[in-house]
Amino acid sequence: MNSPNPTAVAEAPPETPPRRRPIRLPQDRHAIVDSFFRFQSLFGLVAVFVIAIAVSPVRNGESVFLSSGNLANIVRAVSEIGIIAVGMTFVILIGGIDLSVGAVLGLAAVGSATLMVDSGMAIMPTVLIVLFIGTAFGATQGAIVARLGIQSFIVTLAGLQAARGIARMWSGGLGIPIAYGDGPQEAPQAFSMLSGSINGILPVPALLFLAIGVGALLVLRSTAFARHVYAIGGNEKAARLSGVPVRRVRITVFAISGLLAALAGIIHAGQLNQGSPNDGAGYELDAIAAVVIGGTSLAGGSGSMGGTIAGALLLGILNNILALNNIDANVQLVVKGLVIVAAAALQKLRPRIA
Amino acid sequence: MTERPLVRMTGIGKRFGGVHACRDIDLTVRAGEVHALLGENGAGKSTLINVLSGVITEYDGAIELEGRPVSFAGPSDAQRAGIATIHQELDLVAGLSIAENMFLGREPRTRLGTVDIRRMRRQATDHLRALGADLDPRRLVGSLRVGEQQLVEIGRALSLDARVLIMDEPTAALADAEVERLFATIAELRRAGVGIVYISHRMAEIEVVADRVTVLRNGSVAGSVDPKTASRDDIIQLMVGRSVDALFGEGRNEPGDVLLDVHGLAVTPRRPTPGRTEPAGVDLSVRAGEIVGLAGLMGAGRTELLETLFGAGGSGRRAGQVTIDGRPYRPHGPRSALARGVAFVPEDRRGAGLMLEHSVTDNVVLSALSTLTTLGLVRRQAVKRTVAGQLSALAVKAASPAVATATLSGGNQQKVVFAKQLLTRPRLLLLDEPTRGVDIGAKAEIYRLLHQLADTGMAILLASSELPELLSLCDRVVVLHRGRTVAALPRASATQQAILAAANGDDAKETR
Repeated sequence: MNSPNPTAVAEAPPETPPRRRPIRLPQDRHAIVDSFFRFQSLFGLVAVFVIAIAVSPVRNGESVFLSSGNLANIVRAVSEIGIIAVGMTFVILIGGIDLSVGAVLGLAAVGSATLMVDSGMAIMPTVLIVLFIGTAFGATQGAIVARLGIQSFIVTLAGLQAARGIARMWSGGLGIPIAYGDGPQEAPQAFSMLSGSINGILPVPALLFLAIGVGALLVLRSTAFARHVYAIGGNEKAARLSGVPVRRVRITVFAISGLLAALAGIIHAGQLNQGSPNDGAGYELDAIAAVVIGGTSLAGGSGSMGGTIAGALLLGILNNILALNNIDANVQLVVKGLVIVAAAALQKLRPRIA
Repeated sequence: MTERPLVRMTGIGKRFGGVHACRDIDLTVRAGEVHALLGENGAGKSTLINVLSGVITEYDGAIELEGRPVSFAGPSDAQRAGIATIHQELDLVAGLSIAENMFLGREPRTRLGTVDIRRMRRQATDHLRALGADLDPRRLVGSLRVGEQQLVEIGRALSLDARVLIMDEPTAALADAEVERLFATIAELRRAGVGIVYISHRMAEIEVVADRVTVLRNGSVAGSVDPKTASRDDIIQLMVGRSVDALFGEGRNEPGDVLLDVHGLAVTPRRPTPGRTEPAGVDLSVRAGEIVGLAGLMGAGRTELLETLFGAGGSGRRAGQVTIDGRPYRPHGPRSALARGVAFVPEDRRGAGLMLEHSVTDNVVLSALSTLTTLGLVRRQAVKRTVAGQLSALAVKAASPAVATATLSGGNQQKVVFAKQLLTRPRLLLLDEPTRGVDIGAKAEIYRLLHQLADTGMAILLASSELPELLSLCDRVVVLHRGRTVAALPRASATQQAILAAANGDDAKETR
């Protein structure tokens, strides 16, 4: 029983070639390496952008990809996912996940259409009510997670079903088209501005995404709330014992996610001129993908809003350039999968120091 | 001593980046001897142990096992060769039972190839009994207290029938009675010819248990001594390279008014958790400027009492009266406790005290963020100044406040927890095993700090399994037994014997 295993006792150990550690850099270069990993999604974004320029089809001697119309399309296309991903980042930072955002988007789109078209409400009350519904929905999920201690994956999976169901009941299962005008069964004309652009260049949804992204970035950088978010993701028990109001922060985070999903739903209704209960299916996964590509850890506690914004843009450019080159949509999905894995693998390589 | 040594390590060296963690270290372990390894944190003990146990596979130098050169491809390789390790950082799987943990990866099989659960449980029970621990092997490790987990870890190592046993601070979370049983087990192993490498910060243990002592300093061997002849001061001097006089403080100020008064405190949990001993009749008081010790065996309810006082205990019905400054005190949670000027340094620094992957700065300011914000915005300069001030006040050694807390040594991590809690300007400080896993230098600094804090009028309630620590540090020692206070011994009459007798519940009823 006590005799040594013969394989364990190598007679001639020098034969085995010494394995070298791959990364050994002096201190100053280490900082460069670290900042590369910290801003990997930004580098990734630049790289994808450059590649897109290189492989873009050319029409009349001009790059199709770089045309202002195409760039506007990209930012318009990513704005809904981007806004959702901003909320998702908060949730993932506390170590949670919100699977309900796509369904909440659908619910909000249905709500916007129904309230304006069927109930004849003005824009402001409609928007406020819809945003309130989204926030309340998120806060409720957060309260269930915080009070009952059920994992957010399960709670928001249930929330996904519930929101989808409510949306179908509310709309009678059909998409509600939005016509504009002053008559009955018509929405105020101003709502159509969501499908428009400022100066014909910057799409309104993109502007909203930009504003929310920058706002969230500042919040995450410099508020006590953000420190609490990171602390809960880092070590919930330590955070609680340090006096962090864990429940309150948790509920707030899910409320933010619900609020932003509802906002994306309003934008969605405005862009498509309809509200359908099936809108936003699978958006939650794209939002999670953007967050992961942005370098935020699903374990919680580390990540950045800048990364998420870059991640959303990266996905948008990727989709766009593949479509411009007439690459099959199914291939696009495969490529997207590869990018997500690559981004996560890069984070694993990140040397732990600072 | 004519026989060749069981283990001979020669010229062991290991570099991490540009830093020598070990340099040219020779170490031998003979069969049937306990070889103690001493040194401050960062002296190279863990690295040396990791080399021997196969965790580190690239190093300079050579290892011989019974005269044959060996090189291990990994920890399991070393285990098969008969080298078992009890790690300081308990690596048990919380979601598995005691028995499953002890036989993880080498579960006994039935003839059908399924796991022989009954045999596994029986053997687990036997190994634990040998350590004097009466634990149900079906219990989940996650429901055990730290000290009990340590016993499971020791039991697992024993179940390996190893010829070389490495024990890295095996007693760090054990109460004295458990330590004695462990020593009895060690004596048996020694008779059976097992070679033991024993690491501990507790000098008194070394004197009892060790046959030889090797002291490491800065990655090299500072000296080897015979514990029978060498004095404690000699050993400490070897460890720190200077003499540490008066580890413990002496004259103290007179304590002030009663700050914390606990009367008949009892908690009836809504759902009893196995392994938790809720307060069941606690009477004690702490004056401003006073250090009161909390003694008791493992499972006596020391941690639970501190958690209850901090509002972090289990939920349940509370009976009794607790006052601070004569006003009723009933915290709903840590937040309201902190608001009343109560701070808590938990026992489990890694699990409950720190965010290890986050920077030192983030950890230090977490509890006091509200004082460092304007309209919810963190004032960066104020944070920087505050953190720098705290780190220098507590002499925390960190490359910079921006490094991950995990990169700090145990003692410095503990100081970060202190820095965080002290930033809330508490009037009552609750400490649970504040020097666990902390080297002797840092320990002395923490003791000095506690005296300073008491001198400023802070009330301190300190739970510790180390009786010498309680005896030298505290003005009074309160002893718990099964959740109730059974004795309150003033400094003059507190002795190891008196505390142990009370902690074991001896004559508790007769004397009181």
